[in-house]
Amino acid sequence: MLWFLRGLRRGIVTTRYPDAIDDWTSTLPSAPAFRSAVLTDLLAARLQAACPTGALRHDAGVLVVDLGSCTGCGRCIAAGGGVVESSGEFLLSARRRDDLIKRIPINATAAEPFGGGH
Amino acid sequence: MTVAITALCVAAAGAWLLAAAVAAIGAHLRAGLIVACAASCAGGGCALTAGVLLALHGHSAQVQLGSNLVGGASFHPTPLAAAFIALLGLVAVAIGLYAPRYHHPGIGTSAYLLVYNLGLLASIALLCASNVVTFLVAWESMALLCYLLILRHQDRPEVPQGAFLFLALGETGFVLIIAAFVILATHTGTLDLSQIAHRVHDVPAGWRTAAFLLALTGFGFKAGMVPLHIWLPAAHPVAPADGSGFLSGVIVKLGIYGIALFGFELLHGGPGWWGLVVIILGATSALLGILYALMERELKRFLAFSTIENIGVILVALGGALTFTAYGQKAIGSLLLITALYMVVNHGTYKTLLFLETGVIEHATGTRDMDKLGGLVRTLPRTAVIFLIGVFGIAALPPLNGFVSEWLLFQGLFQGFRIPSHVVGILIIVAGAAIALTAGLALNAFVRAFGIPFLGMPRTEPAAKADERGMPITGPGLLAASCVFLGIGAPLVLLTLQRVSHSITGVNIRAVLLTSKLTVLPAHADFSSLSPTYLAAFMLAMLLVPIVIYRVARPRARSRSTPVWDGGILAFKPRMQYTATTFANPVRVVFEALYQPHVDLQRASDDPAGRSGPVHYRFTVTPIFERYLYQPVVGLVKRLAGLARPLQSGDVNLYLLYVFVAVIVAYAIYAT
Amino acid sequence: MIGEQQLDVTAAELRERALSLFGRSLHIRTVDTGSCAVCESEIRLLQAPHYDLHRLGFFFTPAPRHADLLLITGPCVRAFDNALFEVVNATPDPKAVIAVGACALGGIYPEDEFVHGALDRVVGVDVYIPGCPPSPLALLQGLLVAVGRLEERVSELSLDLDRGGP
Repeated sequence: MLWFLRGLRRGIVTTRYPDAIDDWTSTLPSAPAFRSAVLTDLLAARLQAACPTGALRHDAGVLVVDLGSCTGCGRCIAAGGGVVESSGEFLLSARRRDDLIKRIPINATAAEPFGGGH
Repeated sequence: MTVAITALCVAAAGAWLLAAAVAAIGAHLRAGLIVACAASCAGGGCALTAGVLLALHGHSAQVQLGSNLVGGASFHPTPLAAAFIALLGLVAVAIGLYAPRYHHPGIGTSAYLLVYNLGLLASIALLCASNVVTFLVAWESMALLCYLLILRHQDRPEVPQGAFLFLALGETGFVLIIAAFVILATHTGTLDLSQIAHRVHDVPAGWRTAAFLLALTGFGFKAGMVPLHIWLPAAHPVAPADGSGFLSGVIVKLGIYGIALFGFELLHGGPGWWGLVVIILGATSALLGILYALMERELKRFLAFSTIENIGVILVALGGALTFTAYGQKAIGSLLLITALYMVVNHGTYKTLLFLETGVIEHATGTRDMDKLGGLVRTLPRTAVIFLIGVFGIAALPPLNGFVSEWLLFQGLFQGFRIPSHVVGILIIVAGAAIALTAGLALNAFVRAFGIPFLGMPRTEPAAKADERGMPITGPGLLAASCVFLGIGAPLVLLTLQRVSHSITGVNIRAVLLTSKLTVLPAHADFSSLSPTYLAAFMLAMLLVPIVIYRVARPRARSRSTPVWDGGILAFKPRMQYTATTFANPVRVVFEALYQPHVDLQRASDDPAGRSGPVHYRFTVTPIFERYLYQPVVGLVKRLAGLARPLQSGDVNLYLLYVFVAVIVAYAIYAT
Repeated sequence: MIGEQQLDVTAAELRERALSLFGRSLHIRTVDTGSCAVCESEIRLLQAPHYDLHRLGFFFTPAPRHADLLLITGPCVRAFDNALFEVVNATPDPKAVIAVGACALGGIYPEDEFVHGALDRVVGVDVYIPGCPPSPLALLQGLLVAVGRLEERVSELSLDLDRGGP
């Protein structure tokens, strides 16, 4: 009875998904998004080293992002120095496994964000 | 026909006497064993025919041997005994077919079969007796012969104790039976049973009540009525399987016969409260019997408690018959008497069947403990089928005989509202509720009794290696066929029993018992109805119709068949299964106040998970009746005997003094 | 299951077929092939009033025989092979198989002598739901995609902020 009255006072708390997405979902862990314009090879190598599950792989001229491996831990965002942001995308279901593999082109002519190599 | 019936009874007795003689002389040889059992079968066949004909015809001739008082015997089978004689015959045939493969030829077997056949002889003498002395002599012979029967394996550990309990309680009952007969005989001035029945109204009402209560208690000892039942679980496990079958199938029914004899034939019913006492005792027996049965792991002890339960149900039917007749509802009273007789025959059939099959299991696997068996439906398939038919009968599952008899009992009890007294009506309904609870628990108990030993995986090596070759099959098979016939052919059986009850109570309820369409009515045309025959046909159709529909109209789409989903377990181990104890655990928890269980738990160390050694768990049910009823009585008797011991000092001089004093006293009395 | 042999069928046709088979209501059987059970917690949360699976017509069932959809988590530990095979076999066709979580997608454990590593090395998969763990809303999206009531978006998604990213 108390549960019922409490519910009446608070109103309907069920989410309206799929008709609408609630606001608080912006705080959920989500896949990273990259600024390809300032993405360099060095940074890509650094990001690959930072990712604990191997979701980020530095191939020739491209950063391969495997969303299937991403846990949303945020280490790439911390190591990226502004190049990597949280995308806010967490509804990532796919019919094909390949759809979860994204390729971010590396800008070979971009300047290193942290200055010269070290 | 009259003479033929008596002639058949005499022939049965003669055949059993012959069987006893052949057994005594020749049963240490295989041929002698077979001949003795064949003679036993022949006697059984005669008895069965005699019983059925007596039930149909109603009259038989009298046989008088010698004079009545000194060394003579007088026999005149009555219709009431007809059902019991038929049952005796059927059980004798079944055991006669079973015994050659169960017993090994030898001296022990020869003694056993001698005693057994003489026991059959004593039983039929008892059932045909028409004189008090004949009855008592036959009763005592039967009791002593059964005592010797139980002692077959007397050097095994618990046998003497079980046999002694049987004898002790039987003799206590015998004293009370003698007292009951003596009361009636002295007040009516005759020893002939039919004469007593005619003159019973000369007996004052108080003495009649005393006679009935003494008879109820005395015969109740033999029947296994609670609290007089403790010999049953002690004696049944230790007797050989066919001996246990004979005990449960026939001997306890003789107790019922005695109660019915006093209640209906000799005393012609009585005040309503007689029936109520019987109903209350019956309902208590039924409930306690099945509750204790659920705690038993050993098959024969379990079946013994189940017998107590069934006897309770039969007593409720008998008590109901007495009550309803006393309150003027003679039709329902007759119906319940018919139900009681029907249940007697039914119980004899399926209980004997179950005991015989337990014997087969014991010979095939070496154990009767349910927790050591398992998977016997694969290793002993025919035994399993026959056992299952027995289980269907005893658990009152349609369409077999147990179901029809329970239905009749309930329909009779539910008509308690026709009795003018409200209190009695309520008591009858409460008894009906108790029997309903019993029926549910009995179903639980027998699912357990069939499921744990027969289904699943074998729990031990002997169970896995059980072999059915050479095991007796015809005897139990005959009983299974009888169960099916008694159920599906219930209209025929009930018609026959109706004639019996007509002879006893004088009320003809044929019109309100059976319609022309094979439908059974409970003594009132518009209360309810049941057709066992059509029910059986319907059930068969219910099984076949879906199969036919599936074959004809099955969807033609591609189908894939895979094994049954079993939880993805890689390999089942026998220890993963339910045991008999755990299956009955819910009942144990609910009725804990009754069982007062004593739990003994020992661990090898203090580790609660038991990782450092075995954990021993022992669970015992408190034997309430032994502890709180029998031991105090035995203690009292011992104390009284101790008080009297100084009189028997063993001193010859004291005994001479007694003789001298007795002479003086006798002289003084004679002189005055 | 529905997607295995139809790689060149268009997404629209696949969606139509799924809707016709499963559109009304769906019974789900969850299988844990060795996960850390956090994905199971998120799945269990679907029954709570906030997400309320039942309003969408989805129900959980323990019996594979009654299931239309298998929700499989965990990296397919080899010790579980027999049970997984039996569950998938026992579920009648047509069924859908969903791989839930990074473990099942092959993202965490490599294939070695103890684990298969990814579910699609063992069973054909219809829908992949990434996340560690996927939020209940992501699970709902995956379920609705599997039954054809929603269209998946990740194939069109770009993570490049400078080229059409979010």
